Amino acid sequence: MDQLLNVLVIGLLLGGVYGLVSVGLNLIFGTVRIVNFAQGELVMFGMYGGYYAYNILGLSPYLSVFIVAPAVGLLGVLIQRLVIQPLHNESNMQIFATFGLLMLFQNIMLAFTRGEARSVGGDFGAQVIEMGDIKIGTVRLLTFVITTAITIGLHFWLTRTMVGKSVRAVTQDKRAARTVGINVEKTFLMTFGIGSALAGLAGVMLTPIYSITPGVGGNFILAAFAVVVLGGLGSVWGAYLGGLIVGVVEALAGYYIDPALRHAIWFLIFLVVLIIRPAGLLGQVGAEEVGFREQN
Amino acid sequence: MNKTDRQSPPPQVAPEVSGLQSGGTALGRYLALMALAGAPLVFLAKDPYWLNIIAFTYLMGGLAASWNIIGGFGGQFSLGHGVFFGIGAYVTAIATSRYGLSPWLVMVPAAVLAALVAMLISWPTFRLRGPFFAIATMAFNEVAFVLANHFDSFTGGPRGIMIPFKAGFANMIFRERWQYAVLMFVFVALVVGITVWLRRSRLGYYLLAVREDEDSARASGINVLSVKLQGMALSAFLTAIGGTLFTMYLRFIDPPTLFTLQDVGVKFALLSLIGGVGTIAGPLLGAALIVPFENFLRAELADALPGMNLAILGLLMVLAALFMKRGVVGAFEDLLRKIKGKKGGQ
Repeated sequence: MDQLLNVLVIGLLLGGVYGLVSVGLNLIFGTVRIVNFAQGELVMFGMYGGYYAYNILGLSPYLSVFIVAPAVGLLGVLIQRLVIQPLHNESNMQIFATFGLLMLFQNIMLAFTRGEARSVGGDFGAQVIEMGDIKIGTVRLLTFVITTAITIGLHFWLTRTMVGKSVRAVTQDKRAARTVGINVEKTFLMTFGIGSALAGLAGVMLTPIYSITPGVGGNFILAAFAVVVLGGLGSVWGAYLGGLIVGVVEALAGYYIDPALRHAIWFLIFLVVLIIRPAGLLGQVGAEEVGFREQN
Repeated sequence: MNKTDRQSPPPQVAPEVSGLQSGGTALGRYLALMALAGAPLVFLAKDPYWLNIIAFTYLMGGLAASWNIIGGFGGQFSLGHGVFFGIGAYVTAIATSRYGLSPWLVMVPAAVLAALVAMLISWPTFRLRGPFFAIATMAFNEVAFVLANHFDSFTGGPRGIMIPFKAGFANMIFRERWQYAVLMFVFVALVVGITVWLRRSRLGYYLLAVREDEDSARASGINVLSVKLQGMALSAFLTAIGGTLFTMYLRFIDPPTLFTLQDVGVKFALLSLIGGVGTIAGPLLGAALIVPFENFLRAELADALPGMNLAILGLLMVLAALFMKRGVVGAFEDLLRKIKGKKGGQ
């Protein structure tokens, strides 16, 4: 029983990581309606940002996040303006373009770092809280708390503020939103920027836990896609819930079956969701089919 | 497909311009294209360095043209063709190295297996559109990677499978590079020939109709799912044959060689994009431009700056998506139209 509880806790904490990585992706996914294949690379940039801030400036990740996350957000705004916006309504070209960005970012970092893995190490990531037989890593717990806080914050931002409401209006009907005076392009820029900044934030938060390589984004992007498909397109709470479920399932499968098969587990979740409820747990029914119809 | 399907007239789709369009029949244009594609093989038959590049260009051209059947004509952007490529490769490698079978015998059953797998995994994913479909197919590719690593008693796992060198036509292993190049040329000629036929067949028109507007296609009596499945099966079949040829050329396969997205699944799509998605000559042109260019980049840059060659390829991909949406073929046609327009004006 203790074993099971331990595995569940590990799963939930892992789920916090996935939720954190997915929430920005899902915001972009739901609002701008584009699939950003390069989102994992934004996480990777965040991780390198956290690493260099720690090693060169001596800044703790929990401080440097205030510099790194906005910087990655700015990069996101540039991507939206220069690459995504010219390609609106051409979803196939967007796939190519963002995949091209993925290759570009990943390999620039590879050339820059010469492929050596880095990690922050030191006192970070090692501390553990013990409760009976259950061990909880402090950093992972903190990540979980931050994920929850961000989800709640995003929820209130989207439902209670004018700006957030305008984002939701654009999500629901671009044309109608334009008619009532919302600047759709500006909203897209902002959403993409926030979604990217969240990816950067996730990256910095993960520096104490994961070792950093140029290819690390690939580890997250597939999990994040599984989370988003499971949780529901564009749903903030969907990303949170989806993250937790994927984390727990992965931990259980890793413990009882084989850790090497976790990709296969994500895929299985994927497939089951696609067959049973393609809209995801908390998504709008039909979004996966009509979500990318042409909107003017 | 039911009776009403057969009786309904083919849907009206604006005729696609297919590269070398000026004059001649489809057969004539096909032969001209193949003659053009075969020329480097004739002129550089003595140079092993270039023969290697030429053989790979043909192989990748054929694979991109196979992808183009479902990705270009059908508009279903699969990033998971590595799965079918891998099935062709693994079945061939296992059957030849362990059971001593001839690759020629294994090739077609492996391709049939790939087509079946393609239909099986596409059936649930075809209800997704655009990017969602791309993500799902990408997931299949990753799963294939994991499974190939995991079941090492069967696939050799990370150690891969080596095929011993026993030269001979029956073993599909040759002493001379030009023989491989000829083999690859036959492959690309076959695939492009099938595309030419497909483009004028009922299935081809159905695929185009589905790409242009799925709902309208359905409304005009096309069984959309069946059309997509047929296109995918054909595409996967040809991709698996490419996998067999790849395996016999390299005589060594392991999971990263077969399932790295950037080198396989996405590469097929990239070549088609650069050349011209949904055209007949496009994938071949894309391969002719990119494969030698990539070889050059790898030779020049990979030692000095690891990954720089792929970064440039990524940048190229972004630029092509932004400024050359219809690829080289599209740009060429625009140029022709401009010249013609000017003549008409004067």
